[in-house]
Amino acid sequence: MSTPLRVLVVDDELAMRESIAAWLVQDGHQVGKAEGGREALGLMEQREFDLALVDIKMPGMDGIELLRRVKESHPDVLVIIITAYGSIESAVDAMKAGASDYLLKPFDPEHLMLLLEKMGRQKRLMQENKMLRQRLAEGQMAGFEDLVGGSPAMLKVFGQIEEVAATEAPVLIVGETGTGKELVARAIHNRSSRSFGPFVAINCGAQSESLLESELFGHERGAFTGAVKARRGHLEMADGGTLFLDEVGDISQKMQVALLRVLENGSFLRVGGGDPLTSDFRLICATHRDLPELIAAGDFRQDFYYRINVFSLTVPPLRQRREDIIPLAEHFIAVFSRETGKPPPELDDKARQALLSYAWPGNVRELRNIMERAVIVRRGGLIKLEQLAFLEEGPKSGSAPLRLAEIETEHIRRILQAHQWNITQAAAILGIDRTTLARKIKKAGLRSP
Amino acid sequence: MGSESDMSSRVMLPPQVEVVPFGLVSSTAAQVVAANLQALLELNVLVVQPWPEPAHALVAARGQYDAGLILKDLAATEGAPLRLGLMGKDLCLPFLTYVLGESQLGGRAAVMSLHRLSDGEGGGRTTRHLMLERAAKVGLHEIAHVLGLEHCRAAGCLMKFSAGPAGLDRLRMGFCPVCQRELTRLKIELA
Repeated sequence: MSTPLRVLVVDDELAMRESIAAWLVQDGHQVGKAEGGREALGLMEQREFDLALVDIKMPGMDGIELLRRVKESHPDVLVIIITAYGSIESAVDAMKAGASDYLLKPFDPEHLMLLLEKMGRQKRLMQENKMLRQRLAEGQMAGFEDLVGGSPAMLKVFGQIEEVAATEAPVLIVGETGTGKELVARAIHNRSSRSFGPFVAINCGAQSESLLESELFGHERGAFTGAVKARRGHLEMADGGTLFLDEVGDISQKMQVALLRVLENGSFLRVGGGDPLTSDFRLICATHRDLPELIAAGDFRQDFYYRINVFSLTVPPLRQRREDIIPLAEHFIAVFSRETGKPPPELDDKARQALLSYAWPGNVRELRNIMERAVIVRRGGLIKLEQLAFLEEGPKSGSAPLRLAEIETEHIRRILQAHQWNITQAAAILGIDRTTLARKIKKAGLRSP
Repeated sequence: MGSESDMSSRVMLPPQVEVVPFGLVSSTAAQVVAANLQALLELNVLVVQPWPEPAHALVAARGQYDAGLILKDLAATEGAPLRLGLMGKDLCLPFLTYVLGESQLGGRAAVMSLHRLSDGEGGGRTTRHLMLERAAKVGLHEIAHVLGLEHCRAAGCLMKFSAGPAGLDRLRMGFCPVCQRELTRLKIELA
């Protein structure tokens, strides 16, 4: 979609100038008008413009001369040259002189819109890059939507998000577990024209094939045992918005075929349904798996891969962006401190060193969990090395792994201790209601000291 | 839908929008456009007797009509309701090869053409039902411009720009929440 731009229309023909300007205003752009090169340069001194639409043939200073002067005095202003049929050579000269593009009069409306979208994207990327470079140079903690990071690797990701958000292309996000693939997908959605629509996420790896089919496509009443009433699927729910398929590498070939059919035909049936339904969604997929390898092994369909991988974006693991570790840790400390109502503690030097030297197999999610615990168990205003669970407990060889229920009990015990056994506060932090927490306390045999 | 007299007998209040057919244009299309303006924008709409085709707006070299010149005719009458011209012939602007519709943003008039709305995929023709649906979408889009609404970036919103008929088919028959809110505000100002 085109970003609103500040456009200067330069044309000596009044009717042409006015009608182009009126059309651009209707499209949401801010528009200035000039009947010649001199007036245009004067206006550029008074106001900032993103784009100049310049007629090539004008009395006095012609379009090419104006283009050269604009590029000297206002290099950030994009220039599109307007030319008539038969003067294509002049358009080529204009491109050589630095024009971003050219338009042949009269313009095809679709072409004009696509060109404005392209200019909008170019301008946004220029601004974003400028801002990110500035932040990096100032050593500030950089952030983008809910993503934190100022490393070159993350700046590249932010730039790619900006670029792809402006399109409707399906996106494949690749990255190790815990790198923040869903946050990237949300950032793309939030910055896209679909941000008013829903963001519907589903983890394909956590479902059986039949459950995933029902979750995605919905079902009619009586479609299978237990289907006591009709239910909309995620495809329907994503209408007008974005559908995010997490762990897409885990879905069966049968489901790949079914989804491929939806992407190709734009219609689908609910499980047990007979009426085709349509849904207008943008597809974003994510995986931690090597899909080309799965294709080679015959476990993933190549045609489906090509459909979902129009634009590929790789989220780097935390170990490849170590400069982001401390800003991320401080970010999580601030977030969890707000939740617990305590002032945010600081990391002491040993804790910092430990965080920086750790391998982070669980990536940002692991860092988040460690900082959540550290905020709870710390004493005073410092987080110390011994409060970082991964280092304290370490990969002790030979120690028996804990069972899931034991980990849950231990976590509940720590949260309760940190909050002096205040059930309401502890339940809020654990994200469960008081009754559930009371039941778990009773079941685990926990007692207040 | 009925004739002008039928429509005016149901509309008790003076019309806020007049749909003005030019020459021999489908009366069904005019009524469908009017009905949708009335239903979705909640404006009193009247389809008036056809005006003659605006010969002075014909751009002979292009075989099309200049939408800008037609807008001036439609907006000329002081104190008249907002007007939506309905052409069967193709429209253009001096700088655009064609337009499906054109309007004065926050002004008095808009004009639209049915000429391209029957275009189907691969050079074929689409169904009459789809043509009428497209006409209703163009009419709503253009009158919303006249009320003061600019283009919208939200997918599926009726105020999203569509260069051609295929783009219209991707729009819903309605406005996004932001445009809907803005329309409500603009209509209060109009009242």
